[in-house]
Amino acid sequence: MKQVTIIAIIAGIAAVLPLVTGESPYFIGVMISVLMMAALSSAWNILGGYAGQYSFGHAAYFGAGAYTTLIMISTFNFNPLGGMVAGIIVACIIALVTGSIVFRLRGHYFGLASIAVAEIVRLSALNFEFTGGAQGILLSDVSLWGVDLNSKLPFYYGMLLVLVVSLGITLYMRSSKTGFYLQAIREDQDAAASLGINLSFYKNKALLISAALTSVLGSLYAVYIRFIDTSAVLDLRLSIEIILTAIIGGVGTLWGPAVGAVLLVPLAEVLRSNVIGEALVKHGIVSEKSGLGIFFKDNLAHAHVLVYGIITVLCILYLPKGILGLFRRTK
Amino acid sequence: MLISPWRSIMFFLQSLLSGILTGGVYALAGIGMSLVFGVMNISNFAHGDLMMLGMYMAYFAFTLLHIDPYLSLVLIIPTAFLFGFVLEKVFIHRIISHPHQNQILLTIGLGLIMSNSALLGFTSDPKILTTSYSSSAVHIAGGISLSVPLLLSFVITCGITGVLFLFLSKTTTGLALWATSQNREAAQLMGINVAKMSALAFGLGTALAATAGALIAPTYYIHPMAGHTFLLKAFTICVLGGLGSVVGAGVGGVIIGVVESMSSTYLSSDWKDVVVFIIFLMVLLFRPQGLFGKKGEQ
Repeated sequence: MKQVTIIAIIAGIAAVLPLVTGESPYFIGVMISVLMMAALSSAWNILGGYAGQYSFGHAAYFGAGAYTTLIMISTFNFNPLGGMVAGIIVACIIALVTGSIVFRLRGHYFGLASIAVAEIVRLSALNFEFTGGAQGILLSDVSLWGVDLNSKLPFYYGMLLVLVVSLGITLYMRSSKTGFYLQAIREDQDAAASLGINLSFYKNKALLISAALTSVLGSLYAVYIRFIDTSAVLDLRLSIEIILTAIIGGVGTLWGPAVGAVLLVPLAEVLRSNVIGEALVKHGIVSEKSGLGIFFKDNLAHAHVLVYGIITVLCILYLPKGILGLFRRTK
Repeated sequence: MLISPWRSIMFFLQSLLSGILTGGVYALAGIGMSLVFGVMNISNFAHGDLMMLGMYMAYFAFTLLHIDPYLSLVLIIPTAFLFGFVLEKVFIHRIISHPHQNQILLTIGLGLIMSNSALLGFTSDPKILTTSYSSSAVHIAGGISLSVPLLLSFVITCGITGVLFLFLSKTTTGLALWATSQNREAAQLMGINVAKMSALAFGLGTALAATAGALIAPTYYIHPMAGHTFLLKAFTICVLGGLGSVVGAGVGGVIIGVVESMSSTYLSSDWKDVVVFIIFLMVLLFRPQGLFGKKGEQ
């Protein structure tokens, strides 16, 4: 079956899913997180997976979208879509600055510089006044063309749309000239350059596409949650989660990031809501009053990043091509 | 009110000296990272978390065993060396020929495990290590005062750096390590056991990171996520000095210490990290091989 058909079928299933399951806010909430992480990771994959440029600072573009949108809405009375467009512009400017500095270099440098840029953006948002500093920005009621933005559904479909667009671009990339150039750069930069490929032009192109998509997701997230601060949208942790999702699913594959998100986000949700700790106590494995029981109850909820760390290490050692890499090998 | 030129000179000197003292400790962390990078060609993203472990080791040696944080280095250095050696043998050596992004991700994963285990074990409450001399200062001419813990750290840093240089330039093992750092293949052809050198380098790097952590423990808040800031500083130092250059990392550390101190004095302490990262990007833009790096490697 053609990949386009598969994307259409899965998108169709995802689109009718809320109608079937009813509007359980919890379920829709988790689904929004899954779709968002899948889209973020797919957008990252365009640059990381196909051009081989690992960005460790994608939170900068997410945060740029989120902050610009909320500032535009609350200070300049933009509507959310206008804010989103402004966010894309800001994210692209940051991407161009980063790209023009580091794409002349290779290897370790792009990764390091992307972190440095992301940290500059984070610290600036933390220290400037118009970004709300450490308190962040809170958004009161907002609406768009009479659509009720208090409901979760518009954001569900918004995230789904960005995911489909990201997958579509990835698919186009795989069979277009730009895509072949990027893969050539990934495999051997010198060989690509000797064939006349303009390295920094194509790397910047991939970075801009990736940054713009990431920024749209940031805008959606900000209007959905209505509260942002630097630790929610600009933290290094977010950048790393985006990469991990792609790695675990399979970097440089069409479906890898989505598979990673489907596995990791619910796992994080389970750990965060402390289902495991409660189950251990409930089944009498650990007594609620014992030291261990109290420890589990208090702390397992914070353990999801620890679990991410363990998964990363195991994945790099035993599954460096991700879950989809497993199937590819047997082909 | 006009500040007299004399006072502003003293102000400047004060800031310069405290910058150099802090920079010394940064240099130690930078040297550790550069050594690992030079010998193994790996960007160690767990370096900051190894520093954080050093901070906790000093803290617990002080609160549980009542050992002075500077004296506890006698315990911390061998423990950390062993820890790094084992980490290399169990994890790092398996990815030494992998693409660099896998190496970065593996060390990020190890770092996440360390920082979040610390979070589970020691909670997120910041700990403060207060010694009897924590807030005392030495006054020197012209009203300049230097913090005693920073001064002690600096002296110890100089001592350790000196010993490290003697080791690298006078002993057979040290020379073998240096040779591996300059050219891994050639070193291997000369009969150097490069796998052993890698484990040694990672052990030394870990010991240096933990030492730097222990040395700043009396002057910083100790918390599980402390490594994050230091990781980025250590990278800036290494790139500034030239990735893989041990001398460069030493000089880079002092420069970063002074830049930080100057920007807190003349700008604001909120922006000092931003200044450091802007310098990092400027180095990449204008001199990507760093101050002491070999040209053409970037």
